[in-house]
Amino acid sequence: MWRFGALTLVAVLCASEPALAQSTRITGTVRSADGNVPIVAADVEVVGANFRRVAPTRDDGRFTVAVEAGTYLVRVRRIGFAADSALNVAVAAGETKTLNFTLVARAAQIVGVTVVGYGTQDVRDNTGSVRAVTAREFNPGRVVSAEQLIASKVPGVQIIDNNEPGGGISIRIRGGTSINASNEPLYVVDGVPLNIGGGLSSGRNPLNFLNPQDIREITVLKDASATAIYGSRGANGVLLITTKSGSSREPSFSYTSSFSSSTVVRKPDLMSADEFRAAVTAQVPANVGLLGTANTDWVDRVLRSSGGAEHNVAVSGVREDMRYRLSLGTLDQNGILLGTRTKRISTAASYSDLLLNDRLEFRANFKGTRNDDLYTPGGVLGQAANMDPTQAVSTNGVYFQWAAPLGTNNPIADLNQLQDEGSTFRSVGNVEAKWFFSEWVDGLSATMRSGFDYATSSRTSFSPSTAQADIELARGGRIWRNLPRQVNTVFEMFGNFNRKLDRYDMSVDLTGGYTFEQQKGDYASFSAERLSTDLLGVNYVPTTSTSVLVNELSVDESKLISFFGRANVTWKGKYLFSGSLRRDGSSKFAPENQWGVFPAVGAAWRMVDEDFMADMNWLSDLKVRFSWGVNGNQAFGNGLYVPTYTPSGGQAQYPFGNTFVTTIRPSAVDPNIKWEQSTSTNFGVDFGFLNDRLTGTLDYYDKDTKDLINTVPVPAGTAPGNVVVTNIGSMNNKGLELGVSWVVLEGRNRGWRYEAGFAVSNNQNKITAISANETDKIQVGGISGGVGSRIQILQPGSPINSFFVYETRKVNGKTVFGNLPDTALYVDQNGDNIINQDDLRPYKDPAPRWIIGHTSTASYRNWDFSATARMYLGNYTYNNMASSYGYYGGLTGSTPSNRHRSVLETGFVNPQFYSDYYVEDASFLRLDNISAAYTFRGLRGVQSLRVFGTVQNVFTSTGYSGVDPLAGVNGIDNNLFPASRTMTFGMNIAF
Amino acid sequence: MNRIIRTTLVAATALLVGVSCTDPTVAPKSTINSETVFTEASAYKSLLAKVYAGLALTGQQGCCGAPDLGGGFDEGFSQYWRLYMQMQTLPTDDAMIAWGGDQALSELNTGMWSSSNGFLNAMYYRIFFQVAMANVFLRETTNAKLDSRGVSPALKAEIQGYRAEARFLRALSYYHGVDLFGPLPLVDENTSVAEPPAQATRAEVYDYVVAELIAVRNELPAMGAAEYGRVDQGAVAMLLAKSYLNAGIYTGTTKYTEAMAEVTAIIGSGAYSIDANYRRIFSADNNTSPELIFAIPQDGIRMKNYGGTTFLVHANVGGPMNGGDYGINGGWWGLRMRPETRALFPAIGAGAADRRAEFWVDLNTPTISNMFDYQQGTGSPKFTNKTSGGANGQDLEFTDTDVPVWRLADVYLMYAELNLRAGGGTIAQATTYINALRGRAYGDNSGDVLQADVDLALVLDERARELYMEGHRRQDLVRYGLFTGGAKLWSWKGNDAAGVTTDAFRSLYPLPASELIANPKLTQNTGY
Repeated sequence: MWRFGALTLVAVLCASEPALAQSTRITGTVRSADGNVPIVAADVEVVGANFRRVAPTRDDGRFTVAVEAGTYLVRVRRIGFAADSALNVAVAAGETKTLNFTLVARAAQIVGVTVVGYGTQDVRDNTGSVRAVTAREFNPGRVVSAEQLIASKVPGVQIIDNNEPGGGISIRIRGGTSINASNEPLYVVDGVPLNIGGGLSSGRNPLNFLNPQDIREITVLKDASATAIYGSRGANGVLLITTKSGSSREPSFSYTSSFSSSTVVRKPDLMSADEFRAAVTAQVPANVGLLGTANTDWVDRVLRSSGGAEHNVAVSGVREDMRYRLSLGTLDQNGILLGTRTKRISTAASYSDLLLNDRLEFRANFKGTRNDDLYTPGGVLGQAANMDPTQAVSTNGVYFQWAAPLGTNNPIADLNQLQDEGSTFRSVGNVEAKWFFSEWVDGLSATMRSGFDYATSSRTSFSPSTAQADIELARGGRIWRNLPRQVNTVFEMFGNFNRKLDRYDMSVDLTGGYTFEQQKGDYASFSAERLSTDLLGVNYVPTTSTSVLVNELSVDESKLISFFGRANVTWKGKYLFSGSLRRDGSSKFAPENQWGVFPAVGAAWRMVDEDFMADMNWLSDLKVRFSWGVNGNQAFGNGLYVPTYTPSGGQAQYPFGNTFVTTIRPSAVDPNIKWEQSTSTNFGVDFGFLNDRLTGTLDYYDKDTKDLINTVPVPAGTAPGNVVVTNIGSMNNKGLELGVSWVVLEGRNRGWRYEAGFAVSNNQNKITAISANETDKIQVGGISGGVGSRIQILQPGSPINSFFVYETRKVNGKTVFGNLPDTALYVDQNGDNIINQDDLRPYKDPAPRWIIGHTSTASYRNWDFSATARMYLGNYTYNNMASSYGYYGGLTGSTPSNRHRSVLETGFVNPQFYSDYYVEDASFLRLDNISAAYTFRGLRGVQSLRVFGTVQNVFTSTGYSGVDPLAGVNGIDNNLFPASRTMTFGMNIAF
Repeated sequence: MNRIIRTTLVAATALLVGVSCTDPTVAPKSTINSETVFTEASAYKSLLAKVYAGLALTGQQGCCGAPDLGGGFDEGFSQYWRLYMQMQTLPTDDAMIAWGGDQALSELNTGMWSSSNGFLNAMYYRIFFQVAMANVFLRETTNAKLDSRGVSPALKAEIQGYRAEARFLRALSYYHGVDLFGPLPLVDENTSVAEPPAQATRAEVYDYVVAELIAVRNELPAMGAAEYGRVDQGAVAMLLAKSYLNAGIYTGTTKYTEAMAEVTAIIGSGAYSIDANYRRIFSADNNTSPELIFAIPQDGIRMKNYGGTTFLVHANVGGPMNGGDYGINGGWWGLRMRPETRALFPAIGAGAADRRAEFWVDLNTPTISNMFDYQQGTGSPKFTNKTSGGANGQDLEFTDTDVPVWRLADVYLMYAELNLRAGGGTIAQATTYINALRGRAYGDNSGDVLQADVDLALVLDERARELYMEGHRRQDLVRYGLFTGGAKLWSWKGNDAAGVTTDAFRSLYPLPASELIANPKLTQNTGY
């Protein structure tokens, strides 16, 4: 409560301000150098002795700022344009001073002002590695979740695809820094840090609540100098998402609509019915009698071409100093896997105004979204891969099912009988008041911000008593519902002091503040078996006296309290220094360890502004940067330091006589657990040639993470449990990033404009320790097939999740295959004449060495075109489809299952999960999207009409044999959601 | 003036924030703090139940979730008895598992394990999980602690019995440990946990087990008097008998006389009798069998886990067998009999004279040339989730059949062996006991053996016939000196289809590689 009290307090404080004289003003127009077009929504900053104000330009490019008589510095900035040089102007009382500005469109690489943590900063003055991607650069086409907008745009940022529409989220910025804590960056939407934890697994991607159409800009903070202001949560980088606000003077109404169609690109390489028949006949003649007479492509039967539609309306405008924007969006997207669908209704409202004679800037943003999702029930995709292709889907209306209960269930029957659905409501909003103390202390302002992130979701699955699994288990129907709810509140106060000290030819920008954040979640679920009827589906829980009911509830809560400060100093306009410090207090640690300090420093030198470079006209920008800083990572469970007892559930009791007793289990904890800590160093160069027609950045970074949160074995008997979660181990990421943007053709005289962007990054990850003992290793990477089999390793000296497999023997350069003993198939690494786990060795890893992204944008008259391509080099994928289906042994038994066609080459009879044959080079080149659009101008009553078409996932070139070389973040391809090609057509009309 | 007031107010606001919200501490919400847990009197029983449950279950959720063992072990296979039974069975002539590609299993099937084998790792940690749970219980129930918490005298007296049970369970796991792994760190409730514990010799571990059992014996109920699910002096006597019987292996000094004393005490107590219905011992209602001395309870609804008899019933069904005949939803195509054990029976299947093989099923071939082909070998579904009356257990996935750890038939055969090893008793009595079992198997005296024929080899074979898949075989073969070496071969011994000689050091399992790292005071067993 006190939070709102504080806000009210500020509002009351401010109410008694005297009015300023109105007649004196500065006015003018901002136009682009290219085409002399008025520039809308440029920020005109007017700074005087006791005065600072930023005003937007209207849609005719004009601006007006009321001032008192005096001398002012006026400058204009607009994202996507180079800042025009500042003008000093003297205004007499009652005078209207007119100033006109011309801005030069900039290559995408460098923008004028960018959002940074707790403020904005001119990119010129930046010492860190920060990259903003604005809406016009976003990937086009059907984008369900926001992170896909910036795929391939920013060097060092790997967006991990999930082919499911709106499926899971994963981003790696400069490689992963953690083993057990999260490797995801921190997401901040309009100042509100998002909770992306697993608790909301009932929904899909936690960013799905954001309508991409509402996003103005996504800023990626990569190095510690930029992220240290976020302290304990910045180790994996930060994504700042800024949503749109009103920008044009006249109310503007826009409507966007698009329709899409997706088709399956590639299916798993399974045997056809004829191949299957031949294999059974040759390998297991005893089972020929089990073969059917049909030719069913089961995978084909569960996939489809799917469509989707999206509609968005937005009203926005600027009135006096008030900016507003309201939007409503709907999306309905079907997945190519039958039964999958995601629907979204999203609303967003944004409001800002200057009150009390421009002393108080008030902002509010609210977003509320409901997602309704349908999921493929059960394991339909796996069942389709598994099912005998010689069996018919159904005969006379009766689905084929194996007589033996553990045979694969008919996927089509499951699709028709089972239900799995969910809905998520999420709302994120904030209210912000910024008070300018300019007339008191020049350049001083204070901001108070209060925000929330509320999410509630439900996921329900139902299986009738007639479903095959229920028949086999005699379960009598089952309904299950999971009801997680999370609320995250944040309160922030910070002050900013931004002043030019002309006497020292210096400008300083100081920020300091406090934040308080609290997360609460509760997770309720229930299930019931042995229902009294199947008829009510997910809508009712019809139990009987013999029903088996399970109810569960758990609650968690955490807090993060921080104090932070930052200083940016620019001297002579070319020597830049920055320093930041954040002190975080986290509830995740014991009181002795809960506070951590995260410092960062940075320095940059704008060499291009030195006199000795003055005559190098071909060089328009040259800045060298250095930064060093420390970040933390606390993205793991709450209360790990507290010794507790966990009570057992109703299905894990122990009988004493006739009574089942609930057990309690003590936990093994490390009371001294603390954050993971990353220390990173960054060297960078920003450059621009030919008046910034060719611009770019080059960065080298080296990031050491220590005190990894790790589950390690404890000496047996010393703790209640075999492992304890503690801080042990370290890893290193180092890499190189190059971002280049080149305006190849400038589009003069309405001719062709062509711009090419490249984002090249290299990352090398290495685990340097995982336990106190340098030689220890931990097996990870569970696969499908072989209970408990794990095919990856964490081992010092190797990259994280390196595959841990046998080396296949080669004779005369050819790999040995066939139904042979292990000693014939694999190299006996330790020479003990036995092939066992001691002969496994680390081999390749899933992370790409190089990621190269390319974007082309072109325009000609009313046409514009774009294309995005991406290439990964050096990433390896374990083809779990091939290994778990690629052996003839699966044809034995009473329910022979379909085989992967790799068995035709290998001839394996027994599974060879640990063969490095299945670790494939998954380097690829993919044309992610191509797009064309035409804009009609000058239509009567219409501001603009734009029609567009996009093809996503146009082609992929790869040597990888599975369905998709992008097999998720861990490089294990186990029945992935197949990739699809999507065509989208749509239009945007603005009035 | 205004300015000053404003400044003050802003500063006051900041101060307010600073004072009121700088403590990030939040108490965990959905777990019970160890400082408050014992304010509920029922906590003592709940904690003792956890020590027992460590033998039966895999985690706190039931079947799947909140597993006891961390570090990536599959929860299903981490069940105590599943691991123990596999380690005592798979590397012998008893049975093997067909699940191919599962690296760690084929190492057990062939006896050629490495120290990073996941199954033996999990077994080791299961043993010490039990030790740790018992130690926590004993530390939390000292007189001083009970008094400080104001525990009632009645409860305090009851807790003394709980303490004896916890010590018994700790001794049981150390017995498993000394048998499988040999020299282990001895950690009791008084051992400092500040540093890794030192390794005791195999003999010291054995001595500890025996001493603990003798110490707790009189604190426990008389033989057969314990309520369901708990131990009494019958279990103590049996564990002592087993320890003494194998003492020669553990310490180099045999204790056959002492073993015989325990064996005769069990038989003489009259608390147990041979179940006329052999099949009931392995059925869903085996809690009613008079033959069981100690069993690990299982329940299809209240005790869900993928080990125990859920594993034994499911894994033993496959090929031509129909899951419904065993009260389950389908077989796992895993365990089947090796040809060497099958050969101990004159015939199998319906009408077989020795009814212990009556319910066996012919697979494609009794010999096993491909260890991953389930249809090679002999289907021997000893365990079932049907009651002796033919009704299904409560659940088709999770079984109700209790795990028979020790039963009177084993005691009879131990008597015979101990007699032959000069532990006392009479050969006539030994013959009577053997024929009691054979008589039950044959339904009459047609299968009886002659006293003159009773020798150690016969007893070993009879143990194979009576106790197969009950987790005894490796220990028996080691005691007979036949587990390693070339004196007795069986399919896939030493990773050869026909069986080959193996090194003697494989009579002991290696300590887990990860444990040697976690505890630098440990020395690996010879040969590994």
